[in-house]
Amino acid sequence: MQKQVRAWLEDGKVDVFLAYKMDCGHPLPHAFTRERIDETEDLVTGPARYSLEKFATQIAARHPEKKIGLLARDCTQRALNVLAVWNQLPAEQVEPLPVNCCPSALKPHADCTYLEAPATGEVKIQCGQDPRQSIEAVDAQEGPERFARWMYEFQKCIKCYGCRNICPVCFCKDCSLEHPDLIGTGNLPPDIPIFHLVRAVHMAGRCIDCGLCEDACPAEIPLRLLYGKVNAIVKDLFDYDTGASDALSPFSILGDKPTLTPAPLLAVSQE
Amino acid sequence: MTLKFVPSICSYCGTGCGVLFQVMDGQLVGTLPMKTHPVNQGKLCIKGWNLHEHITSELRLKHPLLNTFGRMTKVGWDDAIGFAADRLKTIVAEHGPDSVGVLVSAKITNEENYLAQKFARAAVGTNNVDHCARL
Ligand code: SF4
Ligand code: SF4
Ligand code: SF4
Ligand code: SF4
Repeated sequence: MQKQVRAWLEDGKVDVFLAYKMDCGHPLPHAFTRERIDETEDLVTGPARYSLEKFATQIAARHPEKKIGLLARDCTQRALNVLAVWNQLPAEQVEPLPVNCCPSALKPHADCTYLEAPATGEVKIQCGQDPRQSIEAVDAQEGPERFARWMYEFQKCIKCYGCRNICPVCFCKDCSLEHPDLIGTGNLPPDIPIFHLVRAVHMAGRCIDCGLCEDACPAEIPLRLLYGKVNAIVKDLFDYDTGASDALSPFSILGDKPTLTPAPLLAVSQE
Repeated sequence: MTLKFVPSICSYCGTGCGVLFQVMDGQLVGTLPMKTHPVNQGKLCIKGWNLHEHITSELRLKHPLLNTFGRMTKVGWDDAIGFAADRLKTIVAEHGPDSVGVLVSAKITNEENYLAQKFARAAVGTNNVDHCARL
């Protein structure tokens, strides 16, 4: 890994490489460059996961001529697809270097752990939504119970905006969550459930299930489960797999091609 | 193009969350939670997330200002400290040391807080010390 990054920088394949380096005993994100190439000897791949693709988007916005390499776990690859689809980070400007992702029975060595849901306490199991549940299990709850459980989760929100700040695919210049006409400002908890639902709707065709938001949420709200449901609907209705390819999202409204077409099967069944 | 991540501690409250300052091209552009920090474990409150804003704020005070007849005038540090010391001395002489109170803060370091209470007790001679964490 270290040798490969060194070679990429030396050959000029990339101008900057985003990975991690141990600093004060912590694996911290680090931008490796040709000028300080010896630092690549201290490059590490994990275990912390920062939003490297978000940093790449920020670099690209300032320096469109720089070629950016980065460590890419599976979710990073999906985020790069989405960022390219939404014209935030041109695919030709980034050079992902695949690394191991979450642990599984087939792949014991891993650089990440985000697919392991954290253990849940009794109160949350009784009143809230356990993040380890499947979407089907949540759907199976009776309507009022499901609503009450979600509201229990939402009322814990401290409106830190961490979920939005850390999300690799939240890139809007003006965010609806801070717009006083859309969501009341100043109150805690924020206007619920609208605060969370606005974000959930925006994640349709966009959320790549990286888990960074849930990890950053001080209130441990199972955000991934919520956005997972939203994208299951997108899959059902439009047959669109978010982040799986560079295919245009059904919700991209720029350009002259209509994209909001229902999935073929559904169109037939509705006739 | 330069991009640096500088580890630090949030200065807003006594919790002391680990943060990373994101510095791009020599400019402070963002604050991130430190994922592996034992205190906050990758989470921050809204104040921590926006730490960089008070550093880059246009409204930030960069010089001591002296309030003379209702007008704020820019003065040097020596003048400002000298003036404050003179006024404090006069007040203590006229009204006694307990007419002075010292408010310390979570936004300064432990050592600075220690110095401030030392100043109150040893230099001014009062136990009137309070802290914003004792809400
Ligand atoms: S899991 Fe969360 S952080 Fe990741 S893309 Fe989806 S909404 Fe954004
Ligand atoms: S929450 Fe919505 S408006 Fe805000 S940055 Fe994310 S996608 Fe954009
Ligand atoms: S990260 Fe959690 S607590 Fe913070 S704004 Fe998002 S949902 Fe609310
Ligand atoms: S991020 Fe918030 S809770 Fe953490 S130290 Fe700063 S002010 Fe305190």
